[in-house]
Amino acid sequence: MFKNIIQLFKEQYEHKDLIFRMAAFDSKSNYQSHYLGTLWQFIHPAIQIAIYWVVFGLGIRNGRPVDGVPFFIWLLAGLVPWFFIAPSIIQGANSIYQRLGLVSKMNFPVSILPSIKIVEASYQFFALVFILLIVVFGYGITPTLYTLQLIYYVFCMFFFLFSLSVLTSTISTLVRDFQTLLQSVMRVLLYLSPIIWVPSGAIAQIMKLNPLYYIIEGFRDSLLSRQWFYDDPTYFLYFWVLNLTILYFGANIHMKFRKNFMDYL
Amino acid sequence: MKLKVKAINITKHFMMNNQKFDKLKRLFHLDKGDSSQKEFVAVNNVNFEVYEGETVGIVGLNGSGKSTVSNILAEIIQPTSGELIMNGKPSLIAISAGLHNNLKGIENIELKCMMHGLTKFEIEELKPAIIEFADIGDHIYQPVKNYSSGMRSRLGFAISIHINPDILIIDEALSVGDSTFANKCLLKLNEFKENGKTIFFISHSASQMKEFCDRVMWMHYGNLKAIGDADSVTNEYVEFTKWFNTLSENEKQAYKKEHLQKQFVKSTEVIKTNKLLSYFFAGLKILPVLILAILIVLGY
Repeated sequence: MFKNIIQLFKEQYEHKDLIFRMAAFDSKSNYQSHYLGTLWQFIHPAIQIAIYWVVFGLGIRNGRPVDGVPFFIWLLAGLVPWFFIAPSIIQGANSIYQRLGLVSKMNFPVSILPSIKIVEASYQFFALVFILLIVVFGYGITPTLYTLQLIYYVFCMFFFLFSLSVLTSTISTLVRDFQTLLQSVMRVLLYLSPIIWVPSGAIAQIMKLNPLYYIIEGFRDSLLSRQWFYDDPTYFLYFWVLNLTILYFGANIHMKFRKNFMDYL
Repeated sequence: MKLKVKAINITKHFMMNNQKFDKLKRLFHLDKGDSSQKEFVAVNNVNFEVYEGETVGIVGLNGSGKSTVSNILAEIIQPTSGELIMNGKPSLIAISAGLHNNLKGIENIELKCMMHGLTKFEIEELKPAIIEFADIGDHIYQPVKNYSSGMRSRLGFAISIHINPDILIIDEALSVGDSTFANKCLLKLNEFKENGKTIFFISHSASQMKEFCDRVMWMHYGNLKAIGDADSVTNEYVEFTKWFNTLSENEKQAYKKEHLQKQFVKSTEVIKTNKLLSYFFAGLKILPVLILAILIVLGY
């Protein structure tokens, strides 16, 4: 029953060097034709943060804090993981289709292509987290034991992104419409996650079904020392059941179809 | 001699999807019993054995199934039915050799070697040899999109040949380069032969076939028409093309039509499609669990 999942992880482990080297290579060649190079990885998020802060923080909220925390910090703690999650989901889904021409002419483990995209995006993420920590503590929010939970939530995020992109990359190779659909969904998802506005009441309960809610609120729980990850066991259970379900179907569909990818192009 | 490749009843069908929607139906396995679906038999019941150190040529008209056979040998596509036993890693060298257009030549060398699983150290060692073999001068530092088709195939060939494959499949890759490069490649291939590697060689040049191959396979409208001694099969094939060329235009059309018609078959259950749909049914089974989870989260 779990043969395919084990196989999937085995392939990742066996080719871990290849994943990191390909990711480094890709991120190097990505910004090669730019004059500012990798600096764009910081300019781009900085511009977006500024826009959301002005529109949602100063504009709609009139600069009111969220539960005593400055809106800017609250926003930043949600946007930093989002800047990693959104491109990882979109590019992870596209990863196999994009490389199929190159990869199919050789014996290459297709299952590591989504991981390469995730690792590639994670360089920027870790740099941004570092900046985030400096800003948060610079605002006078002291680090506590809660902050260590960040490691757990980063793990959750990677696990979720990996499961999801194994599934989506297979589907979007077979049915191209899926990729276009996913891009639209991600745009909507920015507003359906607690990133730029503060949900409350019944709406918040329904929004909790979105697994990104768990990850993003988890980031805030850790950074702002709000609560432990085991304080809400049902939500903890829900996230992991959903996560493992996605992984189960992703691994099975991927293994089943990958031999025939070329036939479906 | 050691057996390298054995093909048992290899058959490959291609879907003839007239509409985009047909592909989707197939994917979800909704086309059961739909006999209007047509399939094209690109390769029909091909059997052969190839031993270590042999060079086997593949000849045939355009569309006779040569490239399908080479793709199956390279494990790029899976045969619809039949079994392929391979003792060794295959490597395909084709004209469109999967180079990354936006990267420089030298970066393509690094990337391709990396993807073949070579270590950093090995790549650094191989690089000068590859650059020298490709022999495209300073263009190696230019993006591949600016290359001519000749330069592209030279680089592709140089990379593929240096990563030391067990079984080489050369799909008309030599026909793009000029004769000096073709000679250089043939010399290198002879070196491979002496080292006991197995080579599949697809070309339209009868002289290259006779000079270079031990045995030749003749593919004819999806069937393996002949396999045997290089000289005799090549001569047979050349005889056939000569005869074909003497036919009038109408006779040629009639001949092609007659043979192509045989290659179209109605969709049968021989093809085991992957049932994406079955996953959705499996998914339905866990639906109660998910609904329960949703209710719990919602606070009931």
